[in-house]
Formats: sequence, structure tokens, C-alpha cells
Amino acid sequence: MSRVGNVIWWRMAWRNLWRNRRRTLLTASALSFGFVASVVMIGFMDGMMEELVSNGTRVVTGQVQIHAPDYRPEQSIHDTMGGREGVDVSALIALVEAQDGVAGAAPRLYGGGLVSSGDETVGAVLMGVVASQEEAVSRFGHAMVAGRMPGPGEIVVGDAMAETVAIDVGDEVVLVAPAADGSTGNDLFTVSGIFSVGVGGFDDRYALLDMGSLQELMAMDPGRIHEVAVSVERIRDADAAAARVAEAVEAISPGLLTESWSVFQRQLHFVTSMARAMNSIVAVMIFGMAIFGVANTMLLATFERRREFAVARALGASGGAVGRIVVYEGLLLGLVALGAGALVAGPILVYLHGNPIDLSSFVGTYSFVGSAVRPLLTVEYSWQGPLASAVALVGTGVVSASIPAWRAVRMPPADSLAAR
Amino acid sequence: MERMSSQSFRMRSRGLTAVALAALGLAALGPEAVQGQTDPMVLQIIDEVDRIMRGESSTGRMRMEIDTEHWSRSLEMSIWSLGTEHSLIRVENPPREAGTATLKVANEVWIYYPRADRVVKLSPSMMLGSWMGSHFTNDDLVKESRIIEDYDIVISYEGDRDGEDVWEFTMTPRPEAPVIWGRIEQQIRKRDRMPLWAHYYDEDGTLARTMTFEDFRDLGGRRVPTRMVIEPGDGEERTVVTYLELDFDVGLEEDFFSLRNLRAGR
Repeated sequence: MSRVGNVIWWRMAWRNLWRNRRRTLLTASALSFGFVASVVMIGFMDGMMEELVSNGTRVVTGQVQIHAPDYRPEQSIHDTMGGREGVDVSALIALVEAQDGVAGAAPRLYGGGLVSSGDETVGAVLMGVVASQEEAVSRFGHAMVAGRMPGPGEIVVGDAMAETVAIDVGDEVVLVAPAADGSTGNDLFTVSGIFSVGVGGFDDRYALLDMGSLQELMAMDPGRIHEVAVSVERIRDADAAAARVAEAVEAISPGLLTESWSVFQRQLHFVTSMARAMNSIVAVMIFGMAIFGVANTMLLATFERRREFAVARALGASGGAVGRIVVYEGLLLGLVALGAGALVAGPILVYLHGNPIDLSSFVGTYSFVGSAVRPLLTVEYSWQGPLASAVALVGTGVVSASIPAWRAVRMPPADSLAAR
Repeated sequence: MERMSSQSFRMRSRGLTAVALAALGLAALGPEAVQGQTDPMVLQIIDEVDRIMRGESSTGRMRMEIDTEHWSRSLEMSIWSLGTEHSLIRVENPPREAGTATLKVANEVWIYYPRADRVVKLSPSMMLGSWMGSHFTNDDLVKESRIIEDYDIVISYEGDRDGEDVWEFTMTPRPEAPVIWGRIEQQIRKRDRMPLWAHYYDEDGTLARTMTFEDFRDLGGRRVPTRMVIEPGDGEERTVVTYLELDFDVGLEEDFFSLRNLRAGR
């Protein structure tokens, strides 16, 4: 078929489309509405997931972590990075921070112990931190409800723990903790601050100490740490950043294990993967419904034109050519609807991104897989949602046209002309 | 006879569970009314073994060397004991831990942490934890003193082992006994009633812990095993306790074993 001939079929399809302007506009509107609904819903879903991951990783864990390979899952205090000799912590941190996409890195040491004041004692996860470096990774420093992050000989606890053992800033607490040499570390610490991050069981279980102080309490050398937590500039790029960090770290400290949040926050990753799968299901459902509506309309439109098709066939047009016109009509209808839908959806997305819908008058903040979710409906930009919706929309146009097209092809011209 | 064996119960068991544990206050008196199927012959032997260590009070110094997969360390400690219900153990070296002390009175244990100036009374949930990072549990401090109450003891072997005339006891826990072992076996040599080893089996019958007694010498006028090795089942780790000094009948009274004295180290 010649190029000119091809263009003619498109033209005819386009003209046919506008012969019944009102019906076409209504049908296109249905499709446009489906597109807008799909894009916005997926945007909301992405927004929720982004919030979930952000909260799940920005509170404490960061998006990338480095450990000794056998540190997880037992998290034994003996499994420090670089074994008993430890690592050059400042060199390691500087190297990690120099990688593309990395926003900050913080060394950590973990232990377990008893925090006591007066007659009250509570078991705690002791976390050795460097306050200045922690700032870029975790939320502790930003979540102080009283005082400040710990310096040497100082301790910071969550508000729930502070309440349990009845302590306040300036009080002295007793710390008893198993040390790495088998002895029992014990010492007095001054409470320098109280934090409240609100989620994940940190407020009643975590106590932060200055790195050096905890190392001394646990009889560990300054080079011994359990973890480097890394925050990335964009959560979406965490895996790529993790790969760069892993490569750089391998060069100076071979054998360490670098993982992104999708590995060490499996639950969270599972939930977000589920949500992504749900996005496709949303699109399928919306356009699945649309297919039948559009098909019905187009069936009617082709039925009205059955004589016309018969004349065309009688004049020598092939059945395929007639069917193609109908499919072209469906395709053009889809594209028109897509254009209109995009014009509407774009501004809505931009608006919602900047002005999240606040549902806090209906529901409170809730915690989900260790992450706080604010009751804000916000949308996140992505290519996937609109792209999938667009493909689904145009696909809908074509698929719904194929049934009437098939009928148009099958209808013998003589029967149509004879109005049988 | 009934009365006699009851007497034996009260005397018993220091030798049975070894000198080191005895000094830790581990050997002990059973209650007045003990029933069960312990062989009267065993009770007589235990009574004789006990004679070696019988002394109302004792004091001494010991070294405890601990080897584990991840660390090794050596502690020197002073010990005081009175009968079987009271003991006080205080770390003298290394400096990091000097002053750390353990007080046992009957079934209760307190630990003093000098840097924090804090006394912690061990709760039931902490009793199975390690004592001072060694392969002893806190439970060993108090539970060993109840062996005759908690176990039926029979002589499972009597005769020659490697040229030494010995008895071997098998101790099986009584149905209601609150113990963690499924079975304990112990060998005692006949000529001087010295314990040679004890094997501790868990409830599945797997060897979980071995104690070996060595280096029998006269300390404080009595023959005692001055070295005891305790190894968990796999034999890759160990705790060795060595007696450096021992004195008996040193005139300690019950009020010596007080929380005040527990903290008196430094």
C-alpha cells in the first residue's frame, strides 16, 4: 500500500471520528477521566510509598549500611568491621561521603545494657554515635525534645525510656553493659538530652552515647564499630549509590558488606514492591471498565455505518482496509483522550505535589512497618504512572475498536446493502 | 539410721562439687527432710568427702582464667566463705574490674559494680547468665548447693580407672527439681576422696559441660584440688580456676557477708 493511500485511511478515520462530535467527545472524556484518575491515584500511591520509605530510612537506618559480613543477623558485639583490629573510621567515613549521591555517613557501635536510675532499671540498646556525623543520617539530632546530643560521659535517651526510669536532662544514670572482653562495663553517665522520634520502638529502647564513651564502657578500641549508616540524596537512587559505596569501600577495607535499604529493610521493600504492582492493577481495572464502554459506543458507530462500509467494499476496498479504518478511529480517539487527559492531569499533579491534602482531621499519624506515615495525601512525580496509564489508554482505544472492526470486516457487503 | 542419713545430707557435698565451687559457696546443706532413692553408701562417701573440706569459714585467693572464641582474660579474686550459705568474692585484678564483687547469701546473689557504685541483685531471669563472663552461670553459685535435694544419686561404677581406684556417681534430677541438667556424672578417687571430674549432660543426653579437678595439694592444712577446668560441651572454650591461697577456720561471722562489705572493695 502506498504512503498516500495510508494517509487517506487515517484521514477518513479522523473525519469519521468527528461525524458525531458529541458522542466522540463523551467517549473521549470517559477515557480522559480514566487517564486522570489512573495517573493521580498512582501518584498518590507513589507519594505514600516515598513517604513510607523516607520515614522508614531517615529515622535511624539510613538508606545504605556497611557492616562486617557476619554482623547480621546475630548482631554480636564481637562482629565489628575489620575484625578485632577494627578499621580507620575517619578514612572510611570520608571515603563514603565522597561518593556521588551520598548525603552523609555516620559510624555506629551497638551494645545492650541496663540503664538505671534510683530503683528503676530498663534494658536498652546502647548506640555509640558521633553527634556531628549523625546529623546527616538519622533524625535523633532533629528530634530532641530536651537538651542536646551526647558528648563524652553523656547519654541521650528516648522520652518513653526517660519516663520509665524517671530521669531528666542533667540527671545521672548508671549503665551496666556486657563488654567485649567478657567483663561487665559499668559507669555513671549524665543525661544530656531526650529525643522523641515517634516511631519504630526507638523512644523506649534506644540510648545514645558518645562513640568514645561507649567504646570505653564496652572495652573496645577506637577503630571498632559495627556499622556505617549512609544517607543518600535521592532515595530512588539508593541502589546505585550503594553500588558505588561498595566499590569504593572494597578498595580500602575489603570484605565489608554494603547493602541498600531494599535489603536491610525487607519488609518496607516488600510493601513498596507490592504497591508498585498494585499500580498496574489500578490501571488495568480503570481501563478494563473503559474498554467495554468504548467498545459499545464504537460498535454502535460502526453498525450505523454498515451500509457505507458495504459500499466501500463493493467499490473494491478490502475487508482489511475497512477494519483498519475502525481501528484507526479507536487509536485516534485514544490519542485525543490522552492529549486532553494530559492537559488536565498535569496541573492536578503539580498542584497536589505542592499542596498535599491533609487528612489529619480524619486519621492520626500511624506507624507502619517501622515507619511513620503522616495522613497527608501527596503525589510523587514519576514516569511510570503516566506512561503506564497512557499505554493503557491508547491500548483501550485500539482494543475496543477491534471488536467492531472485526464485525465490519465479517459483514458481507451484499447483506448490508440489502439491509438484511 | 534415718537420722544418720539426714545428718549426712546436712554435711555433704562440698567435695562432691569441688573445692572451687565450695569456696564460691556452691556446696551446701540439704534440707532436713530429703526423700528419694539416693544410695546410703553414696551418702556415706559424700560425708567422708565432705570431711576434707569441713570448716566453718575460709578465706583465700584464686585466679580465674577465661578463654573464649572472642576474648581471653584473667582475673584475680579474693574469696571469703562461711559454711555453705555465705560467700563473698571480690576482684583484685585487673584494675579495670578491681572492686567488682559478688555476694551470695543462701539463694540470693548480689553483684557490686564499683565504677557505677551500684549493687545489682540478680533476678531469676539473670541466673542462667554467665558469672563474670566465665563459663559458670550465676545459677551455679546457688544451685550446686542443692544437689542432694534435686538429684537421686547412685554409684554407677566402682573399681579401677587408669590405675586409680574410683567411684563414679550418676545423678538424675528428681521429677519436680528445678534444674537445667538432664544428668550429672562424677568420678571420685577412693584413696583420698578427691573428685576427679564431673560431666554435665543436658536433657537430650548431650554432654554440655565438663569439669576437671587437678593439682591436688595441701593448702591451709588440707588437701584440695587447687585447679579446676570447666569446659562447655564443644571443648573450644574454657575457664580455669586456680587456688593461690586458702585458709580455713578464720573466724568469719555471718554479719561479714553484708551488702556493706560487698561495697567495701574500693
